[in-house]
Amino acid sequence: MTTTPDLIELLAANLTPVRRLRPPMARAATWLALAAAIVALLAIAQGLRPDIATCLRQSGFVMSVGGAVLTGVLATIAAFMLSLPDRSRLWIVLPAPPLALWLSSIGYQCLTNWVSVQPGGITLGETARCFATLVLTSLPLSLALLLMLRYAAALRPTSVVFAGSLAVAAITAVALSLFHGADATAMILMWNLGTAGLFVGLGSIFGKTMFSWVAPRPDLHRA
Amino acid sequence: MTSGPRKRVPPLTLVKGSSGRDDAPCDSGDNASGGRELNWSILMAHAQAGDAGAYRRLLAEISPYLRSLAARRHRDPADVEDTVQDILLTIHAIRYTYDPTRPFGPWLVTIAQRRIIDRLRRRGRLHSREEPLTAEHETLPTDQTNIVDEMSDRRELHEAVEHLPASQRQAIRLLKLKEMSLKEAAEATGMSVTALKVATHRAVNSLRKMLSRGSGEQ
Repeated sequence: MTTTPDLIELLAANLTPVRRLRPPMARAATWLALAAAIVALLAIAQGLRPDIATCLRQSGFVMSVGGAVLTGVLATIAAFMLSLPDRSRLWIVLPAPPLALWLSSIGYQCLTNWVSVQPGGITLGETARCFATLVLTSLPLSLALLLMLRYAAALRPTSVVFAGSLAVAAITAVALSLFHGADATAMILMWNLGTAGLFVGLGSIFGKTMFSWVAPRPDLHRA
Repeated sequence: MTSGPRKRVPPLTLVKGSSGRDDAPCDSGDNASGGRELNWSILMAHAQAGDAGAYRRLLAEISPYLRSLAARRHRDPADVEDTVQDILLTIHAIRYTYDPTRPFGPWLVTIAQRRIIDRLRRRGRLHSREEPLTAEHETLPTDQTNIVDEMSDRRELHEAVEHLPASQRQAIRLLKLKEMSLKEAAEATGMSVTALKVATHRAVNSLRKMLSRGSGEQ
């Protein structure tokens, strides 16, 4: 078995210069810029929903989308802060207020739009396009976040995965509500809460495994 | 973007000795440990730039402190040492996450606590399904090893066999102690299978009598 002084010698012998991480706020901003770019590209490719002008005049819609955007931004900052060992773990509560706003506004919409539920209102084509948006937004964002935060595997994987999944879920929900006029309340609820729950759930279950794929390992060449 | 602090490597000063090794680096008001933490921070900044000497010195200086942290939660010295090595490996793997403009103590302590807790959990899992071997579980492949009681039983049995009549003694040796088949024993002795069976039966009966008498006397 290697003794501690031997290990220290081994580590020092394998020392290579490293590039320090940029400040967490700068890295969060980079990721959010990527998210904005993806949403913008999708907007060009798929087009905004036809009734976007009407929707933006409804306070419920604005509150919901605004809440989701804020949740996404603050959850991203929280994830990058939590990923560093010398930052407080209380950063996890940062996205809580906008999350409450977002969820409550979905509930509000739910009440006011209850009458507009129409069976067969959503066609199969629309659902498929919704699903495409979901995958195209969330997949690259999740992968990017996973790579950017891979070192957190050794520290606080659970809370980082939670905050990160929340960020991805919120941004995906924004994209969904901007592109698809899913007026039926059931759909709104399903897409918003469903995606959030799905990502946070999947992240919590598989986050550790995914982290272990990309986690940095000590580069020891035991010759 | 704020890339200013990344480029700044603090000058290597205040690197004299390593006094007060066993107390926490983040004790406020303690000049010695405050200076030492600054010292560690500077050493880490140099290590990030690839200075192996500074790195070796940093790891050697933090090891006693990490050992004292680990010893608070682990009793087994082997566990303490394994934990220290886990922490050192983690520090090596994620050394680029340290920002030299911030204190070194909290960064180090968070990593240390994670690894200490990880090992506690691993131990907990092991203890819930495994039992450590004790001296009583020790077994060796040779005949004369192991439990003392069996040794004395064995001797008693051999003595009893010696007191049997010759034909019975031979039958019991070949069939029971050497575990030959009746046919093999018949070939070896020239006795018939039936005669061997009778001799064995009688031998077992007389052994039973002798041994039960022996244990009754004790």
